[in-house]
Amino acid sequence: MTHRELELQLDAYVDGELVPEDARELEAHLSGCGDCARLHEARVALSAAIRKQVPAPRAPDALRDRVRATLREAAGTTRVRRSLPAVTTRWLALAASLATVAVGSWRLALSGAGEDALAGQVLASHVRSLMPGHLTDVVSSDQHTVKPWFNGKLDFSPPVYDFAGRGFPLIGGRLDYAGGRPVAALVYGRRQHVINVFLWPATGASMSGAPRVATRQGYHLLQWTTPEYTHWVVSDLGLAELCDFAQLLQQADSTVAGPGAARPLP
Amino acid sequence: MEPSELERFEAIVLPHLDAAYTLARYLTRNDHDAQDIVQDAYLRALKYFGGFRGQGSAGDGRAWLLAIVRNTAHTWRRRHRSDALTTEFDETLHSDALAEHTPAMALDRDSARESLYQALDRLGPEFREVIVLRELEGLSYKEIGDVTGVPIGTVMSRLARARRRLQETLRNREEGE
Repeated sequence: MTHRELELQLDAYVDGELVPEDARELEAHLSGCGDCARLHEARVALSAAIRKQVPAPRAPDALRDRVRATLREAAGTTRVRRSLPAVTTRWLALAASLATVAVGSWRLALSGAGEDALAGQVLASHVRSLMPGHLTDVVSSDQHTVKPWFNGKLDFSPPVYDFAGRGFPLIGGRLDYAGGRPVAALVYGRRQHVINVFLWPATGASMSGAPRVATRQGYHLLQWTTPEYTHWVVSDLGLAELCDFAQLLQQADSTVAGPGAARPLP
Repeated sequence: MEPSELERFEAIVLPHLDAAYTLARYLTRNDHDAQDIVQDAYLRALKYFGGFRGQGSAGDGRAWLLAIVRNTAHTWRRRHRSDALTTEFDETLHSDALAEHTPAMALDRDSARESLYQALDRLGPEFREVIVLRELEGLSYKEIGDVTGVPIGTVMSRLARARRRLQETLRNREEGE
């Protein structure tokens, strides 16, 4: 092997990309040639120096959030905008089935007169909370500040999470009134949108599965009941993103409580 | 798109966000363009995700995403910088050098570190990208070939040439000090 041949193969050898017989031939040459051995050492050192010293900048957090939001928006848009040329028949079918589910749940949500009235109260509370100065009694993005704030104000301790990492930062909490009792209202954000989560201890049977959905006055209402709590989620956020948020809440609840867990202590 | 499909996409492709940003950063040499390109690339990736999953043994998605980032950067440059060919190597227009905007670099300017970065920055784009893909992203020659759209032999020779240039720069600098 000549020096020139070695130089051509040296990088592939250092990178572990040389076939075994070529590698053996190269190693044999290195062991008997000081110049080439030094060349090899320099290459190994260069590679190590680049990895160690040249920065591989991490994506800024703002970009991370932006990409997540864009993806969710794009995935949601595909569901709704049926005229998009890129929409395949599979997606069309999906969009149709989702529409059916949404309408079905909406009917379901309006089936009980009591529940209908409750939806009205929750929506009114949400709208009132958007008026200046009404949104929060305690302002904090720290769930360990918001949760204890409810101590002594309610006969239960509501689960509070921060989903800032998923693009739904905690904004704060407040006391509210719905269904004839004081309830916890937790406020989360999504870009400029406000999400109110109303919850109180469940009295009826729990309803597992996807939240029930209703739309009124341009607001979406999601409702579900765990063994511990009745949840109402209200926002003007797009339905797809709001469902994502509901799913995050449900996952967090099931992680904390575990299936069939006892009701948390007040 | 089904929510579960988006979740799968996020689980497979989102972990490579840092890798995507690093590559975009070295291709564009500025933060703002790099961010726009990465966002655009993720949208494209979402659109083509079905095709990626269809490939089966397509690895962990890193090389696949980086290929999209690279294509996006090239499309983007054609669209936003019609004069790219004449300005691409104009240092005065690319004063937003990475070294100036990476806190670690600003704080720790030992000469060896800065000189290696500068040497890399001075390489032509086709040489700079193979170094980034190999040394910073850890791609195999085949993956680099897939990302850059050239045969493995070309990857090998570009990498060898790029390293020779880096080593010369380093040696000159050490001798000059």
